Amino acid sequence: MGGFSKTITGRVVLRVDVVEKGLLFSLAEQVCEFVSPDPHEHADPLAAIVGIDIHAEFPDDPAMARLFPDAYPDDPEAALDFRRFTQRSLQEAKLAHARTVLQTLSKSGEKITLGTGDIPSWLGFLNDARLAIGTRIDITEDNHQELAELPEDDPRHGMFHVYDWLTYLQESLVQLLLP
Amino acid sequence: MSSQLDVALPETVIDLDRPWITLVWNDPINLMSYVTYVFMEYFKYDRAKAELLMMDVHEKGRAVVSNGTREEMERDVAAMHGYGLWATLKKDD
Repeated sequence: MGGFSKTITGRVVLRVDVVEKGLLFSLAEQVCEFVSPDPHEHADPLAAIVGIDIHAEFPDDPAMARLFPDAYPDDPEAALDFRRFTQRSLQEAKLAHARTVLQTLSKSGEKITLGTGDIPSWLGFLNDARLAIGTRIDITEDNHQELAELPEDDPRHGMFHVYDWLTYLQESLVQLLLP
Repeated sequence: MSSQLDVALPETVIDLDRPWITLVWNDPINLMSYVTYVFMEYFKYDRAKAELLMMDVHEKGRAVVSNGTREEMERDVAAMHGYGLWATLKKDD
């Protein structure tokens, strides 16, 4: 297993085996589902076109709340207004990232080459997936070892190892992009 | 003798005409390298400044990453949320 690397010609490449590729595909599908705006929320199609969601509320789900945090922690009214004007566009941007990843994976074999335009989407997808999983397993600055040592029958065991792998992938991609 | 002047001042100097600030908060998931990358990519800060702000987020729990009008700060916060960073805005006091 290797992370992202750069070819001699400067292209960003990720080599994966069939299991890893399947895992990335499945994760991207899950992120799509997770961030997709609910199509039934909209009574006002014009508001939808301009990216306003008048029904947006603070999410009950902690992972959603992490992906779409309150912009005004001390002012619930302003926070809700901000959410109604921004959340739908943010959801659509994150959805577009995950869909780009699905497209890249569909047209690749075990060597995945990212076009320059695909890189922000891959980076965004890796981060969104880590935020969602990391929130689900209650990751903190101090409990990595504890999570790594969980017994295999603990549902967090597998999630932690996927999280850890995504961390490795994201770190390798960021290192290629930093000047 | 040590004086207050020896204390390192934060990089971001608040302009009185630009009274709103964007804060980025520490979290256990975002990578230090990624946060640095985002500050360089979005705010066009050089690496030294981006790393300084990232270390403030990491060690002090938060950093002021930009200041301006309320509308500008709402735009910055939405952009930070787009990158997955935990950002908020408030009137500077």
